[in-house]
Amino acid sequence: MTAEPALRILVVEDEVLIALELEYLLEDLGHVTVGVAASSSEAIALGVSTIPDVALVDIHLVDGPTGVAVARALSADARTTVLFMTANSKRIPEDFAGAIGVIAKPYSERVVASALSYVAEYRSGRKPSHETPDGFSLAPPV
Amino acid sequence: MTDDDKRALQEVGLEDGVFASAFGASPTPMVVTDARSADNPILWVNDAFLILTGYRRDELYGRNCRMLQGQATDPGEVRRMRDAVTSAEKIECELFNYRKDGSAFWNAMTICPVRDATGEVAWFFAAQADMTDKRRYEQAMRGTNDELERLVDVRTADLQAALEQKTALLHEVDHRVKNNLQVISSLMLLKARRTPEGEARDALQSMAERVGALSTAHRMLYSAGDVTRFDLREFADDFLADLTAGIDSDRTTVEAEVDSIAVSAAMAAPLALMMHELATNAVRHAFPNGRSGRVSITAKRDDGGLRLLIQDDGIGIAAGPVNPAGFGHSLVEMVVRQLRGTIAWNEAFPGTRVEITIPLDRAD
Repeated sequence: MTAEPALRILVVEDEVLIALELEYLLEDLGHVTVGVAASSSEAIALGVSTIPDVALVDIHLVDGPTGVAVARALSADARTTVLFMTANSKRIPEDFAGAIGVIAKPYSERVVASALSYVAEYRSGRKPSHETPDGFSLAPPV
Repeated sequence: MTDDDKRALQEVGLEDGVFASAFGASPTPMVVTDARSADNPILWVNDAFLILTGYRRDELYGRNCRMLQGQATDPGEVRRMRDAVTSAEKIECELFNYRKDGSAFWNAMTICPVRDATGEVAWFFAAQADMTDKRRYEQAMRGTNDELERLVDVRTADLQAALEQKTALLHEVDHRVKNNLQVISSLMLLKARRTPEGEARDALQSMAERVGALSTAHRMLYSAGDVTRFDLREFADDFLADLTAGIDSDRTTVEAEVDSIAVSAAMAAPLALMMHELATNAVRHAFPNGRSGRVSITAKRDDGGLRLLIQDDGIGIAAGPVNPAGFGHSLVEMVVRQLRGTIAWNEAFPGTRVEITIPLDRAD
């Protein structure tokens, strides 16, 4: 993989074990986790205080299926790219609530890695050079 | 009966004779009117007509049939009948009529103009039938049909609701299973990270990969529309991408030729585990010490069922490591037995060749 700049990532995930392992994985991939939120209010507050490059958002959080609202709030800031990361893709609204895609759980390290390199290219304004892997689907074009 | 009346009846042939007897005794109510007299008066009725209407003969003769009509008689139907009579055409109609005692009945009738010797319309002949029972029956049938339809609607709505509930439940369970698979794999990877490099750590990582293979199978099972089928090629594409992402592609190449074979969902997990084990085993153990090589995986279906061939040009079975391959080896044997298949491990000089046949149902 080419040397891409490290992404500053906010993890919105209520399963502690998944969140922790994901933090390690992101570190292995050369990225920086700026925060982990388990509820919608935490997620939105961390979004405001850290302005992450990327937010990985689970749909189901401690306070219910509030990930959609979180995605909408975080993507309102154009500096943050939102990706859903969920086993519950059916709950994603048609407009993807501002997210650019979804990583289906259970995911493999490879899918996370290639989804993030896609995001890095997308953020740099380049046309992503590779196809999206299975297990990572893009939001429908607006 | 006046002489004029008698003469009139004689003329129409109902004073006496075979028709007079037959019509007079007929259970079908009949009436004859005099078309040549003003307002078409009743000239003759049979006994059945008296029974139907409740009137006596002397109350009927000389009067127009409209005496049987009443408040609820349909004026449109009356008009239709009158128009036909005026233009001397045959007509069938059904009127809501009233008996002498005021009770009502549905009177279906056929009215025919009857011509005299000169060809002029001289009489109208009408045969009646009491349709009240038939109407009531139809009404009851309509009521019954409406009720049945209502019951069917209620039942359909119940089934629909039950199906929706079942679908929602399936999604919920699917969601939980996927989430749990992610938790299990995270748990093992976390433990692996905290375990010093060595056999224990490798074992944890291998287990996480096996869970990963099962996860891939599970994800495919429920992402497609049909939750009862599993496509082997779709799985192989995804799983091999995961496998090759972790190896040096200059040194080891993996070639796969997997047909699109739909198998029942129950076979998804064992097949996924088996393919993972064999492919991983080949990639990990066939090429030690920087040796380079090629792994090929083919899956086809023929009359005998599913045929899987996994071949590498590595060091071969005899030269392979005994222990690490041991668990994977027996795992594969167990899964093949579960799927009622057969397996043959052969030296390929160079390398290893594993051939597996799994019987498939006709429906598969």
